[in-house]
Amino acid sequence: MGLIEFEIILASIISMSAPLVLAVVGETISERVGIVNLSLEGSLLITAMIGFAVASLTGNVFWGFGAAAILGGSIALLICFANITLYINMIAVGFTLTILLGKLSSYLGQPFVRIPGPYVPKIDVPWLSDLPVIGRSVVDQNVVVWLSIVSIILSWWFLYKTKVGLTLNAVGENPYSADSRGIKVKVVKYVYGTLGGAIVGVAGASFSLHSIYGWSNGHTLNYGWICLAIVIFGGWNPVRGAIGAYAFGGLQIMALKLQGVIFGLSQVLPLIPFPLMIMSLILIQYSQDKQFIPNRVRSILFGNQPEHLGNTFKRG
Amino acid sequence: MSKFISPEVLENLLAFSLAVFMTSIFLLLLGVSPWDAFVAILEGSILGLDSLSRVLVITSVMSLSAFALIVTFSCNMWNIGIEGQMMLGAIGAVFVARTVVGDTLFAIPLMIMASMAFGGGFGILCGILRTKGSVHEIFAGLGLDFVAAGLIVYLVIGPWKKDGIASTSGTDIIPNMSWFPHLFEFKFPVIPVLLFATLYMTLKFIYSRTALGLKLKSVGSNPAAFSRLGLKPDTYILMGFLIAGAVVGLAGAIQVGSIYHKLVPYISGGYGFLGILIALVSDKKLSVAVIVSIFFACLVVGGSTLQIKLGLHASLPGIIQASIVLFWLIIKASSIHVKLIRLLSREYGTD
Repeated sequence: MGLIEFEIILASIISMSAPLVLAVVGETISERVGIVNLSLEGSLLITAMIGFAVASLTGNVFWGFGAAAILGGSIALLICFANITLYINMIAVGFTLTILLGKLSSYLGQPFVRIPGPYVPKIDVPWLSDLPVIGRSVVDQNVVVWLSIVSIILSWWFLYKTKVGLTLNAVGENPYSADSRGIKVKVVKYVYGTLGGAIVGVAGASFSLHSIYGWSNGHTLNYGWICLAIVIFGGWNPVRGAIGAYAFGGLQIMALKLQGVIFGLSQVLPLIPFPLMIMSLILIQYSQDKQFIPNRVRSILFGNQPEHLGNTFKRG
Repeated sequence: MSKFISPEVLENLLAFSLAVFMTSIFLLLLGVSPWDAFVAILEGSILGLDSLSRVLVITSVMSLSAFALIVTFSCNMWNIGIEGQMMLGAIGAVFVARTVVGDTLFAIPLMIMASMAFGGGFGILCGILRTKGSVHEIFAGLGLDFVAAGLIVYLVIGPWKKDGIASTSGTDIIPNMSWFPHLFEFKFPVIPVLLFATLYMTLKFIYSRTALGLKLKSVGSNPAAFSRLGLKPDTYILMGFLIAGAVVGLAGAIQVGSIYHKLVPYISGGYGFLGILIALVSDKKLSVAVIVSIFFACLVVGGSTLQIKLGLHASLPGIIQASIVLFWLIIKASSIHVKLIRLLSREYGTD
């Protein structure tokens, strides 16, 4: 394989994985603050539909992304409201929403099924696109791809290097201690739960406006569940999550190439992240019992599950 | 309040009615007349012999899924792996039907047993991941669902592929003797109904009369006290998953024996996930789960009339089901219905 061919494959992996990377980053932020957005499968479907619908109606992809982000944020806000204010189990709400939104996307998306529509154009950047390797694979792409890469770096910096990121982590790890330190736990959960949902919304729109043009029933089928698996595989770290997403993208490209050789590969492939997820969860637990592994190595290898993930915070 | 109906039942009934009312408003927003929709669904489900038979089959499948979830919910476990367990049940049934016994009188009883064993085995796998591997049961279950889906795809295009061509449309049709028979003119689905009625009574008995039922319930409500009594919570959690898997495995056998007569990818048809919704609204009560299952089965079967008569999309029944559950969760949590009862009783001076 020559360098050019390698660059082309790398470029298609980075481009194809962009929506998944965005979804993983969004969900990681939500889960870090303790909110499991289990509606991901439904959220991605409906935001992909709305993103494409609004972009087609207005003729401007920007509005499509905006609408999808607002919708994604609103869905997450509803989950936050149900859990933080009404104390409903967030798994119950998220799960119900997944089914509701999935069906709703088929219902509302009827007029937009398989019609041609706008998509995110490629942008030519002079000189930079002539750089070796990253020129073709990163620079010579569109805004969505750049956004996905920026989101990895930004979210990592935000979660691990800033004071607000620390607050967010504190709430996810132990909301009761955070509360006694004077942190407004409910507000923090609302803000980052919703923010994560809005990023998921952008991810949904980038499915229909960037990676798989247009809308059809079940357009992003199973990507929501795959994303949930990759977040865990990534140990709740956006960089590791993104690596997981790219690895999955790589597998998909490989499957496209081998489609003629191995029958049924395209059906089996989307299922690969799930056993990996289970294995990484077992490894996380296994490593926790082993004293000889230093904490630092443990967190790099297996990641850290937010201690209060999925639990309802109720004071007093 | 009435002396015949307990206040709790009345309260839940009101909450459910409110949820249906809110769903109707939601339907209006979608541009669908709720009255027309519900009438069409009723016409298409229980007002025809053919469709009534389908309602009964689907009610059985849904009730069995809901029962399975009620068992795991009582141990305070989320059994998202339900779809996979149903798929394994279906694999078990097809496995038996494809052997020499498939064309004999023994086919159906053996299919039923195999589906329970396969489903139960897969259920316990989720339980082992939870108790021994400390993997949260939601993620373990989700992962196992897709592992089961992959296994079916593998079987359909691999070892069990159709004669000559491998296609994802499914395996060969199973022999006639392994089809679940329909009785009388109106195609009474005797085996599905028998299965779910038996399971209803068995589970009712286990939960109300046996120590096992009590232990399954108490391991969920207070695990700390449970182990203080010298009992092992892990054992009962595993037991819960085993029972749940076996129960929903039967639903898989019904999907094979009464509906598809072959193994197809995603044979569970989402009924397992629907069972989660039913169990959520049923408040861990088996009898309520049956009533909600009948209602939801009518929605599924009547949905086709909705399509033909009103030209509405096939996704509408699912929208109605899920929004009823969502509104129900919100109404129960915010106790709007209780406030409404108080308001009404103050207004009319009755108590």
